[in-house]
Amino acid sequence: MGKKLFRYSEENKDKFLESDNITFNDGSVVTPEEIWDYLTVEGPVKYPGTYEINLSQGNRDSRDETLSTSLKTHYLSLTFSARMEKAKESGKTIAFIQGGQAVDPYTAADTIALRPFLVGQWYHGREHGNDIYKSVLRRKQSKESAFHDMSFEACQTGGYEHVQVGDLPIDVIAPYTVLRCSDVSYGVEAHRHGPNKDVKLINVDYPMRHQADKPWAIEYFAQNLRKLVKTLDEVRGKTTTEYDLLRAIKLHNEGRRLGNELADLWWSTDIPPTNSDDRNSLVALANLDMHGDVQASLSVLKEAKNIIAERVKNGVKGHAVTDNPKRLFILGSCVGINESRSEDAGAIVVGKDDQWSHCTSIVEEEGDPYYNLAKATLEYPYEQSIEKRAQWTIEQIKKSRADGVIFIHNWGCNTQAAISRPIVDFIKRETGIPTYIHERDLHGLRDEQEQNRVNAFIEML
Amino acid sequence: MSISGNYFAGVDVGSLAAKSVILKDGEIFATGLVPSGVNSVESGLNALNLALETAGLQKEDLTYIVGTGYGRVSAPYANKAVTEITCHAKGTNYLHPSVRTIIDMGGQDCKAIRIDQDGAVVDFAMNDKCAAGTGRFLEVMAGVFKVKLEDLGAIALSATDTVPMSSTCTVFAESETISLVARGEKPENILNGIHHSIANRIAGLFSRVGIESDVFFSGGVAKNSGMKAAIEQALKVTIVKPEIDPQLIGALGAAVIARNFSKKEGLWA
Ligand code: SF4
Repeated sequence: MGKKLFRYSEENKDKFLESDNITFNDGSVVTPEEIWDYLTVEGPVKYPGTYEINLSQGNRDSRDETLSTSLKTHYLSLTFSARMEKAKESGKTIAFIQGGQAVDPYTAADTIALRPFLVGQWYHGREHGNDIYKSVLRRKQSKESAFHDMSFEACQTGGYEHVQVGDLPIDVIAPYTVLRCSDVSYGVEAHRHGPNKDVKLINVDYPMRHQADKPWAIEYFAQNLRKLVKTLDEVRGKTTTEYDLLRAIKLHNEGRRLGNELADLWWSTDIPPTNSDDRNSLVALANLDMHGDVQASLSVLKEAKNIIAERVKNGVKGHAVTDNPKRLFILGSCVGINESRSEDAGAIVVGKDDQWSHCTSIVEEEGDPYYNLAKATLEYPYEQSIEKRAQWTIEQIKKSRADGVIFIHNWGCNTQAAISRPIVDFIKRETGIPTYIHERDLHGLRDEQEQNRVNAFIEML
Repeated sequence: MSISGNYFAGVDVGSLAAKSVILKDGEIFATGLVPSGVNSVESGLNALNLALETAGLQKEDLTYIVGTGYGRVSAPYANKAVTEITCHAKGTNYLHPSVRTIIDMGGQDCKAIRIDQDGAVVDFAMNDKCAAGTGRFLEVMAGVFKVKLEDLGAIALSATDTVPMSSTCTVFAESETISLVARGEKPENILNGIHHSIANRIAGLFSRVGIESDVFFSGGVAKNSGMKAAIEQALKVTIVKPEIDPQLIGALGAAVIARNFSKKEGLWA
């Protein structure tokens, strides 16, 4: 029996066609008409799983079709794999990154930086026609072989696995060895001892023990960033100048500023202007690293900010948002909750700390760009001591007027698991807001048990 | 038969049993308890039909139904679904308003729940990752000793000694138990040790949420007298005597919530 698929309704087409184009890194443009055609004709055939109505995978039978940028982020996700293939064919350098860094240096060196999740998306997007079940199964298979080849204790090993077995033409592995991510070590070791040593490896050493105020640490990290760019230049056979980095910083600062403005607008009203899923996918654009194309992310982000401003002005409530939902702030690396099911239980996600921490750190544009970038990166609130990180989180919680905090850590995410309790205790002590810690199981499936706890927490609020 | 009054039902579909409670005018009117089958919709309906039959009612006579337990997600017969944590809190508060702490041990998980005077959840901790402290674990142990599940507690209480268990992992505990039997330890002493090690494991859940009197023990495992005694010892508390079968508390809470919802939605004044 065929699965029931969501369809974009023709009713909203004319309005969508009036919206902005998406402009890509290479200067090419897609029009709303082309996007509409893709989403209504090609997309459902190639990726039926993303249209399948399946609440446990977060897919509703209706979506916010009047939010044009929501359709555009969907388009960017669906075309991701094909765009990566095309970029590779045209000689682009592609780096595997990990450790939660901002991608300014990669942009400067004309390199596409992909986090583990995106590496998986590239690989899995190559196969067409899969329903949700088959897609999940395929991802689990990658993970199983990664467990076998690397470590059973690692979380996001799938990406390394694709590099190791040569599934994907990744040119360089360039993670930050930062304390937040215990997974980096497994992947890096696996790469050292694995069969595919042709792929270059560079570790960008992030000084531990919270040295943001120490000039030596900033200098040391700036040196590491120079080494990173030099390595990327060796791989691609071109030279990146300081001016290139400054331009990249300015571009990313624009994204970060827009992201902050968008979030402030969203938080400025009691009526959530979008649902959690749409909010997250729009705010996530701010680091310009979500879709393998910084310009494309920026152009959708610009449009999104204007739409949110308009919605806030007119008191528009986001699609499927309940009246007076309980506002949740989610903490932890590489995680999120099942937003649609949590919304059905009467909640809304109003913020996350992980990537948002980078977004709030604007890089100084005067002076040595390497030094400035190193300084800003070392100051990411997420990477600070427990107390400082908790203080910053409290500020975000207050701004977003969250009613409850959920800290989720993946099984195998050792640092986040270790610090979750003291952070949450600090927040609870200072704000009195109810908190909840959840350990996500090995495969990261958004299963019933997890939802049961989240729903119980929402009911408690 | 002419039906008068407002009837509210709660249906709790757990991994081992499906339970239902029907409330009439604020009183427990009928209950149903059946083993859970593979089809959770069917199990819930069976439990509900049993209670309806006892009460002499039709499903249409019910003003509002709330589903809970793991089967609540697919409960087309229910008007609303609520987690069992909230339901155990409400059900306990309905019967025992002085209770502030609940230990709930069901077929596949156990929970430590703190509640306020209105039965609202203040905090909770849950173990659903490991079988230790669940009905399933005790089922395995009953299998090892070839005794009935419901007799386990009484056997443990007849012990003259406590044989310490080094593991609460179902797999390791099973092989450890077999070794202890082979070593000549008495079954009742081993079972006593098993109950105590589970109770100590549960005490760990309370290190985070804390304990405040009165304390109540709900869920299917609460019928096990040996477990009750071991928990009282581990937590240094006296557990409030349940007024009804403690396995029905979740369904009762769901029925209470059904009454509250229907009031809110104007279905009942
Ligand atoms: S979940 Fe934690 S360990 Fe895993 S990739 Fe993310 S930060 Fe690294």
